[in-house]
Amino acid sequence: MADTAITARPASAARRRRKRNTGTNVAALLIAAFVALPLYWMVAASFKGQADITSASAIPPHPTTANYTNAFSSYAFGTYIENSAIVAVATTLLVLALGIFAGYALARLPMRGKTAIMTALLMISLFPTIAVVAPLYLLLRDIGWLNSYQGLVLSYTALMLPFAIWILRNFFLTIPKAMEESARVDGAGPFRTVLQVILPQALPGVFTAGVFTFVAAWTEFIISLTVNNSDRYRTIGVGIALFGGQFTTPYGTIFAASAVAMLPIAILVLVFRRAVVSGLTAGAVKG
Amino acid sequence: MRFPRHRTPALAAICAAAIALSAAGCSSSASTQAGPVATGAAAGTITWMANQFGPTSTDVRKTLIAAFEKAYPGITVKLEQAPSDEDTYRSELVTQISGGSSSFDVYNGDVVWPAQFAKADLALPLNSYFPSSYWDKFSKGMVPSLTYDGQIYAAPLFTDNAFLFYRKDLLAKAHLPVPTTWEQLQSEAETLQKDGLVKYGFAAQFNSYEGLTCDWTEFLADAGGSSVNAAGTRSTIDSTAAVKALDYMRGLITSGVAPAAITTFEEQQSESLFDSGQVAFLRNWTYAYADANTPANSKIVGDVGVTNLPTFAGQTGPGYSVTGGWNLYINPHSKNLPADVDFIKWMTGAQAQTIMAEQGGVLPTVASVLNNPRVQASNPAFPVAAKNKLNARPSFVAKYPQLSEAIYTNINGALSGSVSTSSALSSASSQISAALSSNGL
Amino acid sequence: MTSTDTRGGPPQTGRRPEASRPARRRPRPPRSVIQRGSARLGWAFASPALLVVAAVMIFPIVFSVVMSLSNVNVTGNGFQLSGLTTHNYSILFGSPRYWHDLEFTATYTVVTVTIEMMLGTLVALVLERLTRARGWMMALLLMPWALITVVSAELWAYIYNGVYGMLEAGLNTVGVHGVDVLGTPLQASIAMGVADVWKTTPFVAIMVLAGLVMLPADVVEAARIDGASAWTIFWRVRLPLLRPVLAVAVMFRILQAFGIFDLPYVLTGGGPGTSTETLAVLGYKVLFNDLEFGPGAAVAASTALIVLVVCLLFLKVFRTQVAEQEG
Repeated sequence: MADTAITARPASAARRRRKRNTGTNVAALLIAAFVALPLYWMVAASFKGQADITSASAIPPHPTTANYTNAFSSYAFGTYIENSAIVAVATTLLVLALGIFAGYALARLPMRGKTAIMTALLMISLFPTIAVVAPLYLLLRDIGWLNSYQGLVLSYTALMLPFAIWILRNFFLTIPKAMEESARVDGAGPFRTVLQVILPQALPGVFTAGVFTFVAAWTEFIISLTVNNSDRYRTIGVGIALFGGQFTTPYGTIFAASAVAMLPIAILVLVFRRAVVSGLTAGAVKG
Repeated sequence: MRFPRHRTPALAAICAAAIALSAAGCSSSASTQAGPVATGAAAGTITWMANQFGPTSTDVRKTLIAAFEKAYPGITVKLEQAPSDEDTYRSELVTQISGGSSSFDVYNGDVVWPAQFAKADLALPLNSYFPSSYWDKFSKGMVPSLTYDGQIYAAPLFTDNAFLFYRKDLLAKAHLPVPTTWEQLQSEAETLQKDGLVKYGFAAQFNSYEGLTCDWTEFLADAGGSSVNAAGTRSTIDSTAAVKALDYMRGLITSGVAPAAITTFEEQQSESLFDSGQVAFLRNWTYAYADANTPANSKIVGDVGVTNLPTFAGQTGPGYSVTGGWNLYINPHSKNLPADVDFIKWMTGAQAQTIMAEQGGVLPTVASVLNNPRVQASNPAFPVAAKNKLNARPSFVAKYPQLSEAIYTNINGALSGSVSTSSALSSASSQISAALSSNGL
Repeated sequence: MTSTDTRGGPPQTGRRPEASRPARRRPRPPRSVIQRGSARLGWAFASPALLVVAAVMIFPIVFSVVMSLSNVNVTGNGFQLSGLTTHNYSILFGSPRYWHDLEFTATYTVVTVTIEMMLGTLVALVLERLTRARGWMMALLLMPWALITVVSAELWAYIYNGVYGMLEAGLNTVGVHGVDVLGTPLQASIAMGVADVWKTTPFVAIMVLAGLVMLPADVVEAARIDGASAWTIFWRVRLPLLRPVLAVAVMFRILQAFGIFDLPYVLTGGGPGTSTETLAVLGYKVLFNDLEFGPGAAVAASTALIVLVVCLLFLKVFRTQVAEQEG
């Protein structure tokens, strides 16, 4: 009896696994379709000329790359991309560097006033940006950091740190305390504990915080519009807002520019996904 | 919350810094308090902030700058692109100017901004920099709309009128004349639709935004009414004329002459639809003629006629057209006033105005240029404009944005059918009253 | 939980030992010394980040709150603040438009956040099960999130256009004509919600996925060995462990949804009428169209206060480890 039980189970388990896999794959396909359909529409529109933009056809009737060339020739779009890249990368690095340590401290170290700090961070991040933008302009003007990289990076870092700290702290909370205990017992200093013990375990959380910060910096609009208004330092979001005139919204050019702007993020995710994947199959850390 | 003792000095420092900075921010740039003076030779570099106008294929601003620099070799003009959305542009201007920025010297501004900008000290009063005879050359009605409290705050750069654009070919096919009343327009449109010649009869800008205030002002004036009284102290929008206008506009939608989506249309959408050949009649601005005749954009090249807007039956003359357009303002923090003044003088001079009319396709503000036969011949809309009956939006009120918002949000609500005509008008009226007495949001 | 079980289940991979004992016992110094040292260390770790946030954000926020309590005049020489008054707030609270916008924003937040949390968790579960395609799916999922909000709103405006939009074209193929989604209040709200869900579900999904991936594997394994069904495992084992992650996701989604600006501004302008106007759109209009910085700041401050209260209540209700970690 026991033997048949053992042999019978693997077969049904395999069948169940296969059904689960089909279910998963179908669900994945549906999700992908829902996500991809508007994106496809956007890319298709980017290849439609001005006359076809009102033709609701799935395939552009007369495909043209005019929108793409227009984005880069009539506007300094290349410069905007470069500026966005510099600002976003710098912001992400700064936010992660500061946020990881702050998040760890607020998760694990016995500080007084942790609730207060987390609440204060929450309060700061929930103040509407539109009300903050005018005084922020005054502040940066007084420091002399208008129309620069550092002004924007500083603003974004301050804006995005609360969220990053919250995420990182909560992810650190899910790591068992025993981890740090064993590291401390082994004589590792606090710095090394964080970098070499905690961080690898929390890689998915760090990746999440990093991606969100990068995307937020990449797509931010209202602060960049106010603070960096010279063409030399403009970012992508603001650049796109300049397209067209009073009565024209050049959908084709806007979508073309946006499609190009999305690519770096796609590439980044694909490059860094290995970090996440390896994070989850990392071997056990021996105690 | 309790902080460990050794943390408080640092926090105190931060708070002190914050307060110090806020004090500094509150009283910024004391240098302009004495008042700028335009002395010295006009030379150097100035920055002109402007959004794009005219046809999208050529940038007439660059043509103008090149011609100006040739006439004034000592002055260089840098062009700074403004956001294309007007409200975004205004928010940027407000933040920059109130923050003391002098990164631009001269900027384009909408015709409805003078009162609001004047009240908030965001534009330089120009009376002391131009002789009073300077202002005489502009077409009638231009300068009063730029005046607030006795001072002139901007120079008229170009103006804009609204027209009725129609499909010559469709009217010819159906043997119909060009309509002169709104009622006639509706019946002709219905005929064209019934005969299967066109999908929609009429398109305009009925979205919940400033453009609806323009269209509404026209319909309302055609019906004999107004949104506020002449002194700008009282709301007059709740009237029989307003009911007539609103009922007509709503009727266009319910009868199928206008697409239901017209309540989401701005200039862009109405224009695209017309250019794709699906609409018989379009109410739009001057630029629409050039766009409709550009092969890259339009499927109806050569089939477009332009005429004055119709009015309601029983009224005389053509229908009213609202005045649009853009003006040149000076940033109060500009550091090169002599050059700014020369720039403005040249841009409102005959050469620049002719370039704008002929190459930019916009209506010049200088009367002599507008009446020039060569200019008149360059654009079929110009002779029509000369016969236009003009009406301005009530922008002489400093609270114009609130007023306009009271109008367009409520009218849009009625047009989309979510509220009745009468409740929309009474709601608009009370909101306008609140705005005029500075009591509302 | 230990590997003495020979029934043939999957081998014990245990990324992290559940409750490990140190290999060697050491005499521990008195707790208070470690506590103090660690507390100082904690402040050393946290202060750079906190200083940056405070230095940049405190002035603008304080300034805004002060503006909301003063009479503000915008002038070419800066903001002239005078007097201390609650007039701005009384204008707000006496305005039916404010209350309507608040109600709409609150309803919108509750509905969209609920949907996004459920959908996002579902997507995360699917993503977790994918092996080879996971990276590509994540890249695809991040695309809506990576679109600039203004462009995303323009895209959806283009899709929803009543005459040449994708939606209209699709409905035409099944014989439905003339649906004007953005021109009717309820439908416009739903349309906005769909656009919002499309754009931000990936945010929740990625966060939950990261949380799932970081769960201790042995606890889940143990439950599976005990014969629990996948559903029970999810509900009873994994979901509770995900609480901290879910809490952050919900809180920040509430924050973002309550302050949503770009989408309604570009998609509907707050229309038809003011039916889809959110508090942020109202604040923007009052600040930058009407140039009323006093009431505008009051809108912003009241929004922030409401969200704060909601978030604090939420934290209390879900009893996340905030209090438990107090030192």
